[in-house]
Amino acid sequence: MTAQIGELIEARDAAEILRDEIAAILKVESAKQQELAKAATEYKDPLGWKLRVFVERSNPWHEFQQAPDNTGALGEDPSPIVNVAVDQLSYDMSKSDIVERLHNTTTYNVDCYGYGQSASDNKGGHTPGDYLASTEALRAVRLVRRILMSGHYTYLGQPKGSRFVWRRWVQAVQIFQPAIDGRTVQHVVGARMQFQVECNEFSPQVQGETLTLVSSSVKRAETGEVLIEGDFSP
Amino acid sequence: MSLRDQASTDLERIIENDGDFAWPVTVTSPWGQTESLKGFTNDIGQEIDPETQVSVAGRTASVALSLRTLADTFGQLPIGVTDETRRPWVVCFTDVDGNELSFKVSQAMPDAALGSVLCMLEAYTQ
Repeated sequence: MTAQIGELIEARDAAEILRDEIAAILKVESAKQQELAKAATEYKDPLGWKLRVFVERSNPWHEFQQAPDNTGALGEDPSPIVNVAVDQLSYDMSKSDIVERLHNTTTYNVDCYGYGQSASDNKGGHTPGDYLASTEALRAVRLVRRILMSGHYTYLGQPKGSRFVWRRWVQAVQIFQPAIDGRTVQHVVGARMQFQVECNEFSPQVQGETLTLVSSSVKRAETGEVLIEGDFSP
Repeated sequence: MSLRDQASTDLERIIENDGDFAWPVTVTSPWGQTESLKGFTNDIGQEIDPETQVSVAGRTASVALSLRTLADTFGQLPIGVTDETRRPWVVCFTDVDGNELSFKVSQAMPDAALGSVLCMLEAYTQ
Protein backbone atom coordinates (compact mmCIF):
# COMPACT_ATOMS: atom_id res chain seq x y z
CA MET A 1 0.00 0.00 0.00
CA THR A 2 1.35 3.46 -0.90
CA ALA A 3 0.89 6.58 1.20
CA GLN A 4 -1.41 9.07 -0.48
CA ILE A 5 -0.95 12.22 1.61
CA GLY A 6 1.96 14.17 0.22
CA GLU A 7 1.91 17.13 2.60
CA LEU A 8 3.28 17.30 6.14
CA ILE A 9 0.44 17.40 8.68
CA GLU A 10 1.53 20.07 11.15
CA ALA A 11 -1.29 22.57 11.43
CA ARG A 12 -3.07 22.49 14.79
CA ASP A 13 -6.71 21.51 15.04
CA ALA A 14 -9.33 24.16 15.73
CA ALA A 15 -9.88 22.69 19.19
CA GLU A 16 -6.25 23.37 20.14
CA ILE A 17 -6.19 26.82 18.56
CA LEU A 18 -9.40 27.85 20.30
CA ARG A 19 -8.22 26.50 23.66
CA ASP A 20 -5.22 28.83 23.50
CA GLU A 21 -7.45 31.61 22.20
CA ILE A 22 -9.77 31.25 25.18
CA ALA A 23 -6.82 31.47 27.57
CA ALA A 24 -5.44 34.50 25.73
CA ILE A 25 -8.82 36.25 25.82
CA LEU A 26 -9.11 35.71 29.58
CA LYS A 27 -5.56 36.91 30.20
CA VAL A 28 -5.86 40.02 28.05
CA GLU A 29 -9.29 41.02 29.36
CA SER A 30 -8.27 40.44 32.98
CA ALA A 31 -5.34 42.82 32.46
CA LYS A 32 -7.67 45.36 30.87
CA GLN A 33 -10.13 45.07 33.74
CA GLN A 34 -7.33 45.80 36.21
CA GLU A 35 -6.40 48.92 34.23
CA LEU A 36 -10.03 50.06 34.26
CA ALA A 37 -10.20 49.48 38.01
CA LYS A 38 -7.08 51.59 38.55
CA ALA A 39 -8.53 54.37 36.41
CA ALA A 40 -11.90 54.36 38.21
CA THR A 41 -12.73 57.60 40.03
CA GLU A 42 -13.91 55.69 43.09
CA TYR A 43 -11.15 53.49 44.52
CA LYS A 44 -11.30 49.87 43.36
CA ASP A 45 -8.61 47.31 44.14
CA PRO A 46 -7.33 46.06 40.75
CA LEU A 47 -6.55 42.67 42.31
CA GLY A 48 -10.29 42.07 42.38
CA TRP A 49 -10.11 41.54 38.62
CA LYS A 50 -6.87 39.60 38.44
CA LEU A 51 -6.89 36.06 37.04
CA ARG A 52 -3.90 33.76 36.73
CA VAL A 53 -4.50 31.73 33.58
CA PHE A 54 -3.07 28.29 32.82
CA VAL A 55 -3.61 25.84 29.98
CA GLU A 56 -3.86 22.04 30.30
CA ARG A 57 -2.46 21.87 33.84
CA SER A 58 -3.38 18.93 36.07
CA ASN A 59 -2.62 20.60 39.36
CA PRO A 60 -2.70 24.37 38.93
CA TRP A 61 -3.88 25.00 42.46
CA HIS A 62 -0.56 23.72 43.72
CA GLU A 63 0.41 27.37 43.24
CA PHE A 64 -1.64 28.07 46.37
CA GLN A 65 0.69 25.90 48.44
CA GLN A 66 2.97 28.88 48.82
CA ALA A 67 0.23 31.47 49.03
CA PRO A 68 0.38 34.00 51.89
CA ASP A 69 1.32 31.71 54.72
CA ASN A 70 -0.03 31.83 58.19
CA THR A 71 2.80 33.92 59.53
CA GLY A 72 1.21 36.84 57.73
CA ALA A 73 4.18 37.16 55.37
CA LEU A 74 3.30 37.59 51.72
CA GLY A 75 4.14 34.46 49.78
CA GLU A 76 2.88 33.57 46.33
CA ASP A 77 -0.06 35.30 44.63
CA PRO A 78 -3.45 34.33 46.13
CA SER A 79 -5.43 35.58 43.12
CA PRO A 80 -7.87 33.10 41.55
CA ILE A 81 -6.39 30.57 39.16
CA VAL A 82 -8.07 29.60 35.88
CA ASN A 83 -7.14 26.46 33.95
CA VAL A 84 -8.40 25.88 30.41
CA ALA A 85 -8.38 22.27 29.25
CA VAL A 86 -9.98 20.29 26.43
CA ASP A 87 -12.41 17.77 27.87
CA GLN A 88 -14.30 16.28 24.94
CA LEU A 89 -14.48 16.42 21.15
CA SER A 90 -17.58 15.24 19.30
CA TYR A 91 -18.43 15.35 15.62
CA ASP A 92 -21.86 15.83 14.01
CA MET A 93 -22.18 13.87 10.78
CA SER A 94 -25.32 15.72 9.67
CA LYS A 95 -23.45 19.04 9.68
CA SER A 96 -20.27 17.71 8.09
CA ASP A 97 -19.27 16.32 4.71
CA ILE A 98 -17.43 13.04 4.36
CA VAL A 99 -14.69 14.47 2.15
CA GLU A 100 -13.31 17.64 3.69
CA ARG A 101 -15.00 19.20 6.72
CA LEU A 102 -16.00 17.90 10.14
CA HIS A 103 -18.38 19.83 12.35
CA ASN A 104 -16.75 19.62 15.76
CA THR A 105 -18.20 20.42 19.16
CA THR A 106 -15.43 20.84 21.70
CA THR A 107 -16.19 20.99 25.40
CA TYR A 108 -13.59 22.87 27.41
CA ASN A 109 -13.27 22.66 31.19
CA VAL A 110 -12.56 26.18 32.36
CA ASP A 111 -11.73 25.52 36.02
CA CYS A 112 -11.62 28.49 38.39
CA TYR A 113 -9.93 28.06 41.78
CA GLY A 114 -10.44 30.47 44.65
CA TYR A 115 -8.12 30.65 47.65
CA GLY A 116 -9.08 31.73 51.13
CA GLN A 117 -7.30 31.94 54.44
CA SER A 118 -8.95 32.67 57.76
CA ALA A 119 -7.84 35.96 59.24
CA SER A 120 -8.62 38.18 62.17
CA ASP A 121 -10.73 41.22 61.30
CA ASN A 122 -9.18 43.16 64.21
CA LYS A 123 -12.67 43.85 65.52
CA GLY A 124 -13.10 40.85 67.76
CA GLY A 125 -14.14 38.49 64.98
CA HIS A 126 -12.58 36.79 61.98
CA THR A 127 -13.15 36.09 58.29
CA PRO A 128 -13.48 32.33 57.65
CA GLY A 129 -11.17 30.91 55.02
CA ASP A 130 -13.79 28.55 53.56
CA TYR A 131 -16.15 31.49 52.94
CA LEU A 132 -13.36 33.48 51.28
CA ALA A 133 -12.33 30.57 49.06
CA SER A 134 -15.90 30.00 47.92
CA THR A 135 -16.60 33.65 47.16
CA GLU A 136 -13.30 33.97 45.30
CA ALA A 137 -14.09 30.93 43.15
CA LEU A 138 -17.53 32.30 42.28
CA ARG A 139 -16.10 35.73 41.56
CA ALA A 140 -13.58 34.19 39.17
CA VAL A 141 -16.18 32.12 37.32
CA ARG A 142 -18.42 35.17 37.08
CA LEU A 143 -15.61 37.16 35.47
CA VAL A 144 -14.73 34.30 33.11
CA ARG A 145 -18.32 33.79 32.01
CA ARG A 146 -18.93 37.46 31.34
CA ILE A 147 -15.73 37.80 29.34
CA LEU A 148 -16.25 34.71 27.17
CA MET A 149 -19.96 35.33 26.60
CA SER A 150 -19.45 39.00 25.78
CA GLY A 151 -20.71 40.01 22.37
CA HIS A 152 -17.14 41.02 21.50
CA TYR A 153 -16.22 37.34 21.60
CA THR A 154 -19.21 35.77 19.84
CA TYR A 155 -16.74 34.05 17.52
CA LEU A 156 -13.91 33.99 20.05
CA GLY A 157 -11.97 36.66 18.23
CA GLN A 158 -12.05 34.78 14.92
CA PRO A 159 -13.07 36.65 11.72
CA LYS A 160 -16.83 36.35 11.26
CA GLY A 161 -16.66 35.07 7.71
CA SER A 162 -13.84 32.60 8.32
CA ARG A 163 -16.18 29.59 8.82
CA PHE A 164 -13.98 28.70 11.76
CA VAL A 165 -16.23 29.15 14.80
CA TRP A 166 -19.94 28.54 14.56
CA ARG A 167 -20.84 29.50 18.10
CA ARG A 168 -19.84 29.22 21.77
CA TRP A 169 -22.00 28.48 24.80
CA VAL A 170 -21.72 27.96 28.54
CA GLN A 171 -23.12 24.51 29.18
CA ALA A 172 -22.95 24.38 32.97
CA VAL A 173 -21.05 25.55 36.04
CA GLN A 174 -20.33 23.08 38.83
CA ILE A 175 -18.78 23.91 42.16
CA PHE A 176 -16.36 21.40 43.70
CA GLN A 177 -17.48 20.50 47.17
CA PRO A 178 -14.44 19.98 49.39
CA ALA A 179 -13.93 16.35 50.36
CA ILE A 180 -14.68 15.65 53.99
CA ASP A 181 -11.35 13.88 54.39
CA GLY A 182 -9.54 16.85 52.84
CA ARG A 183 -9.17 18.96 55.99
CA THR A 184 -6.50 21.01 54.29
CA VAL A 185 -4.61 23.82 55.94
CA GLN A 186 -5.51 26.21 53.13
CA HIS A 187 -9.02 26.49 51.75
CA VAL A 188 -9.33 26.11 48.00
CA VAL A 189 -12.71 25.90 46.26
CA GLY A 190 -13.04 25.09 42.58
CA ALA A 191 -15.74 25.98 40.07
CA ARG A 192 -15.81 24.21 36.71
CA MET A 193 -17.40 26.00 33.77
CA GLN A 194 -18.12 23.65 30.86
CA PHE A 195 -17.69 25.78 27.77
CA GLN A 196 -18.83 24.43 24.39
CA VAL A 197 -17.52 25.67 21.09
CA GLU A 198 -18.74 24.51 17.68
CA CYS A 199 -16.19 24.85 14.92
CA ASN A 200 -14.95 23.29 11.69
CA GLU A 201 -12.08 20.86 11.39
CA PHE A 202 -10.40 20.15 8.06
CA SER A 203 -8.18 17.37 6.73
CA PRO A 204 -5.61 16.91 3.91
CA GLN A 205 -7.39 16.78 0.57
CA VAL A 206 -6.63 15.23 -2.77
CA GLN A 207 -4.79 17.74 -4.94
CA GLY A 208 -6.32 17.61 -8.44
CA GLU A 209 -4.29 17.37 -11.61
CA THR A 210 -5.15 19.66 -14.52
CA LEU A 211 -6.08 17.53 -17.52
CA THR A 212 -7.62 20.01 -19.96
CA LEU A 213 -8.26 23.71 -19.49
CA VAL A 214 -11.74 24.70 -20.60
CA SER A 215 -12.82 28.31 -20.49
CA SER A 216 -15.90 30.02 -21.85
CA SER A 217 -17.31 33.50 -21.96
CA VAL A 218 -20.96 34.49 -22.36
CA LYS A 219 -21.88 37.59 -24.37
CA ARG A 220 -25.07 39.26 -25.53
CA ALA A 221 -25.23 40.34 -29.18
CA GLU A 222 -26.80 43.61 -30.28
CA THR A 223 -29.83 41.65 -31.33
CA GLY A 224 -30.16 40.42 -27.76
CA GLU A 225 -29.13 36.90 -28.67
CA VAL A 226 -26.96 35.20 -26.02
CA LEU A 227 -23.71 33.90 -27.48
CA ILE A 228 -21.14 31.64 -25.82
CA GLU A 229 -17.53 31.36 -26.87
CA GLY A 230 -15.52 28.37 -25.71
CA ASP A 231 -11.78 27.74 -25.61
CA PHE A 232 -10.55 24.15 -25.37
CA SER A 233 -6.82 24.18 -24.79
CA PRO A 234 -5.12 20.76 -25.03
CA MET B 1 -6.00 2.18 89.45
CA SER B 2 -7.71 0.50 86.52
CA LEU B 3 -6.01 -0.10 83.20
CA ARG B 4 -8.12 2.63 81.70
CA ASP B 5 -7.01 5.14 84.35
CA GLN B 6 -3.44 4.02 83.77
CA ALA B 7 -3.83 4.49 80.01
CA SER B 8 -5.24 7.98 80.49
CA THR B 9 -2.40 8.97 82.82
CA ASP B 10 0.19 7.51 80.47
CA LEU B 11 -1.29 9.35 77.48
CA GLU B 12 -1.14 12.69 79.24
CA ARG B 13 2.45 12.00 80.25
CA ILE B 14 3.43 11.00 76.70
CA ILE B 15 1.74 13.99 75.06
CA GLU B 16 3.46 16.46 77.39
CA ASN B 17 6.84 14.76 77.76
CA ASP B 18 9.69 17.04 76.58
CA GLY B 19 11.97 14.06 76.25
CA ASP B 20 9.71 12.42 73.66
CA PHE B 21 7.77 14.05 70.84
CA ALA B 22 6.05 16.79 72.82
CA TRP B 23 6.36 20.24 71.25
CA PRO B 24 5.69 23.73 72.69
CA VAL B 25 2.27 24.97 71.60
CA THR B 26 0.63 28.31 72.38
CA VAL B 27 -3.16 28.17 72.61
CA THR B 28 -5.30 31.33 72.62
CA SER B 29 -8.99 31.12 73.43
CA PRO B 30 -11.69 33.26 71.77
CA TRP B 31 -11.84 35.44 74.87
CA GLY B 32 -8.10 36.16 74.62
CA GLN B 33 -6.62 33.85 77.26
CA THR B 34 -3.21 32.61 76.05
CA GLU B 35 -1.42 29.63 77.55
CA SER B 36 1.78 27.77 76.69
CA LEU B 37 1.16 24.05 76.58
CA LYS B 38 2.83 20.97 75.16
CA GLY B 39 1.40 18.59 72.62
CA PHE B 40 1.98 16.52 69.47
CA THR B 41 2.03 18.75 66.41
CA ASN B 42 1.63 17.62 62.82
CA ASP B 43 2.03 19.65 59.60
CA ILE B 44 2.51 17.53 56.49
CA GLY B 45 1.82 17.36 52.78
CA GLN B 46 -0.85 14.92 51.73
CA GLU B 47 -2.51 13.66 48.60
CA ILE B 48 -6.17 14.70 48.50
CA ASP B 49 -9.06 14.14 46.16
CA PRO B 50 -10.86 17.41 45.33
CA GLU B 51 -13.34 15.48 43.15
CA THR B 52 -11.81 16.64 39.90
CA GLN B 53 -10.75 13.08 39.01
CA VAL B 54 -7.16 14.12 39.64
CA SER B 55 -5.49 13.81 43.03
CA VAL B 56 -3.58 16.89 44.11
CA ALA B 57 -1.12 17.73 46.83
CA GLY B 58 -2.55 19.37 49.92
CA ARG B 59 -1.32 20.18 53.39
CA THR B 60 -2.86 19.12 56.67
CA ALA B 61 -1.98 20.22 60.17
CA SER B 62 -3.15 19.06 63.58
CA VAL B 63 -2.21 19.14 67.25
CA ALA B 64 -3.00 16.61 69.98
CA LEU B 65 -3.33 18.05 73.49
CA SER B 66 -4.19 16.69 76.91
CA LEU B 67 -7.92 16.99 77.54
CA ARG B 68 -7.37 17.40 81.28
CA THR B 69 -4.82 20.19 80.80
CA LEU B 70 -7.12 22.09 78.45
CA ALA B 71 -10.12 21.74 80.76
CA ASP B 72 -8.11 22.81 83.82
CA THR B 73 -6.50 25.74 81.98
CA PHE B 74 -9.37 27.16 79.96
CA GLY B 75 -12.41 25.66 81.62
CA GLN B 76 -13.61 24.26 78.32
CA LEU B 77 -12.31 22.41 75.28
CA PRO B 78 -11.48 24.06 71.93
CA ILE B 79 -14.08 23.94 69.20
CA GLY B 80 -14.14 25.02 65.57
CA VAL B 81 -15.60 28.53 65.59
CA THR B 82 -17.58 29.38 62.44
CA ASP B 83 -19.25 32.52 63.78
CA GLU B 84 -17.55 35.46 62.06
CA THR B 85 -18.31 37.77 64.97
CA ARG B 86 -16.13 35.69 67.30
CA ARG B 87 -12.42 35.05 67.42
CA PRO B 88 -11.51 31.41 66.82
CA TRP B 89 -9.32 29.19 68.97
CA VAL B 90 -5.79 29.96 67.75
CA VAL B 91 -2.87 27.55 68.00
CA CYS B 92 0.73 28.60 67.35
CA PHE B 93 3.86 26.51 67.15
CA THR B 94 7.16 26.54 65.29
CA ASP B 95 8.18 24.22 62.47
CA VAL B 96 11.46 22.33 62.22
CA ASP B 97 13.19 25.49 60.95
CA GLY B 98 11.93 27.61 63.82
CA ASN B 99 9.35 29.49 61.72
CA GLU B 100 6.38 30.55 63.81
CA LEU B 101 3.11 29.23 62.38
CA SER B 102 -0.38 30.22 63.47
CA PHE B 103 -3.50 28.21 62.88
CA LYS B 104 -7.20 28.35 63.62
CA VAL B 105 -8.85 25.27 65.13
CA SER B 106 -11.27 24.13 62.41
CA GLN B 107 -12.32 20.92 64.15
CA ALA B 108 -11.74 19.48 67.61
CA MET B 109 -12.17 15.77 68.29
CA PRO B 110 -11.92 14.89 71.98
CA ASP B 111 -11.34 11.36 73.23
CA ALA B 112 -13.02 11.48 76.60
CA ALA B 113 -12.01 7.90 77.46
CA LEU B 114 -8.25 8.35 77.20
CA GLY B 115 -8.11 12.10 77.74
CA SER B 116 -6.81 13.67 74.54
CA VAL B 117 -8.16 16.24 72.10
CA LEU B 118 -7.14 16.16 68.43
CA CYS B 119 -7.52 19.59 66.84
CA MET B 120 -7.52 19.86 63.02
CA LEU B 121 -5.98 23.16 62.00
CA GLU B 122 -6.24 25.61 59.14
CA ALA B 123 -3.99 28.53 58.28
CA TYR B 124 -4.82 31.74 60.12
CA THR B 125 -3.50 35.28 59.90
CA GLN B 126 -3.57 37.15 63.19
